[in-house]
Amino acid sequence: MTRGGMWRLLACIGIAGFVLLPLVQAIVLSFTTTLATEGVPQGTIGLHNYANILRSPELRASIGNSIIYVLLNVAFCLIAGLPAAYGLARFTFLGDRHFLMFLLAFRVTPPVVLSLPIFILFARSGLVNSPIGIALVHCVFNLPIAIWILESFIAAIPRSFDEMAFVDGHSRLSFFFRFLIPAIAPGIAVAAFFCFIFSWVEVVFARILTVTAGKPITQAITSLFTFRTDWGLVMAMTVFSLIPGVLMIFLVRNQIARGFVIRT
Amino acid sequence: MKPHSNAAWALMLPAAAVMVFVAVLPLLAVLNYSFHDIFSLDKVFWVGTDWYEMIVATPRFWASLGRSTLFSTLAISVQIPLGIAIALMLRKVGPRGASLMLMCLAIPLVVPTNMIAGLWLALLRPEGLGGQALSALHLTLDYKFTALHTWALILIVDTWHWLGLVVVLAYAGLSSIQPAYYQAAAVDSATRWAVFRWIELPQISGALWIVLLLRLVDSFMIYTEVMAINAGGPNDATTFLSLELGEDIKAYSYGTSAARAMVDFIFVLTLVWVFVKLRQSGEQTQGGPP
Repeated sequence: MTRGGMWRLLACIGIAGFVLLPLVQAIVLSFTTTLATEGVPQGTIGLHNYANILRSPELRASIGNSIIYVLLNVAFCLIAGLPAAYGLARFTFLGDRHFLMFLLAFRVTPPVVLSLPIFILFARSGLVNSPIGIALVHCVFNLPIAIWILESFIAAIPRSFDEMAFVDGHSRLSFFFRFLIPAIAPGIAVAAFFCFIFSWVEVVFARILTVTAGKPITQAITSLFTFRTDWGLVMAMTVFSLIPGVLMIFLVRNQIARGFVIRT
Repeated sequence: MKPHSNAAWALMLPAAAVMVFVAVLPLLAVLNYSFHDIFSLDKVFWVGTDWYEMIVATPRFWASLGRSTLFSTLAISVQIPLGIAIALMLRKVGPRGASLMLMCLAIPLVVPTNMIAGLWLALLRPEGLGGQALSALHLTLDYKFTALHTWALILIVDTWHWLGLVVVLAYAGLSSIQPAYYQAAAVDSATRWAVFRWIELPQISGALWIVLLLRLVDSFMIYTEVMAINAGGPNDATTFLSLELGEDIKAYSYGTSAARAMVDFIFVLTLVWVFVKLRQSGEQTQGGPP
């Protein structure tokens, strides 16, 4: 191995160490009993914390709640985002740049700014404690991202692709589902990935919109912090919460960075 | 050239409708609250710009603004160059190693925001791996009472969280450069810096603009991690704009918190506007990203 190769290997080990250290600590703690219970003394290594997650109805329910609103959010972002991205990629129209600026402005709006009126508005519309409410409100920051990503994937396909389908007698709707969507499948995967993770990790809106029911996984973790925090259980739950995201990273690893170009 | 068709607005309708409901209406409501004193939802009094005048007159607000600006500057000047450097290095370690490293660097992005600080605090407990390592090296990290340590920890945690996004996007930009560019540079015996400045940087600028913008606004309004690490302490040393706003919201002072939210929103929008203008003028002088 050359000297440069040695240095690069050391740098990679250093970076991986920095990134993985807190995660290693979390995984170690998640297998350690940090709060002694009957028959299980402190310091025991095993699956007790994970067994405790499965035993607790609240923790189990929170995993389901999170998955439901995150999937709904991905669906909303794709359904509303695909036509908009197509329109922006294929046509110029009055105010198109302003529309993009408008999306950008709301992507960068801090959630705390909107939290109070969103709560009041959603309470009046009966959307509090409902996964639909959280899925909708996460569109504030995810819909602009979905539109940017999808737009750049559609713009990469030549216009003649659309015209061929229309010449063959396909309607716009049939073109959309039978040609466009398969052609930009990687783009849809990338957009879905970013919507999924940004919705999964978000805490401000998810907290204010779940008052009595439908608590997400993030809230379930927060509620485990008491004056005698069971760190093992907290970390087991955190490790649990990473599984979907890590799986998603693995699935889109080759596409993840394509088409992330902002247009204003 | 794309054809001009105002009928394309019909395609924007679903997205526009969602954004109006979840973003525009709430924002108008915040604007409305900010001009009122709200005791309860049916006891509301018009106070004009009183809240704004009060906020602008408090030195604490300007101090928080200064701290947020400083933090944002620090976060960007650490994370963007470091991310680019790592991406450049990964281009040389081969596709398999690079793919493994990119996946590794992306993991912090999927950690729930409220557990980012939790993971680090667990690591730094005296009995944690980090705490033990520090005491073995006779170092102390007194993030509860020493302001410099709190700042350092917040910066480390934020870098840990977001470095992956910078690296992934910079790496993707670098991967799309045609080998011919490098061959031409070799023929001209260009220096390493010249290759970076005139070939690599222009190619990754498209992806870097968005990560720069996201990092700019997200670090400017950082809340959850800072709250969990030391709740703005010691002595307000890490009280950023978002933490002041959080205090108002928790105190149920709707009027002041709405006015503060509007002020923060205006700052963020101004940042974005300056950013977009800078980018547009940069495109005109340099011919723009490919």
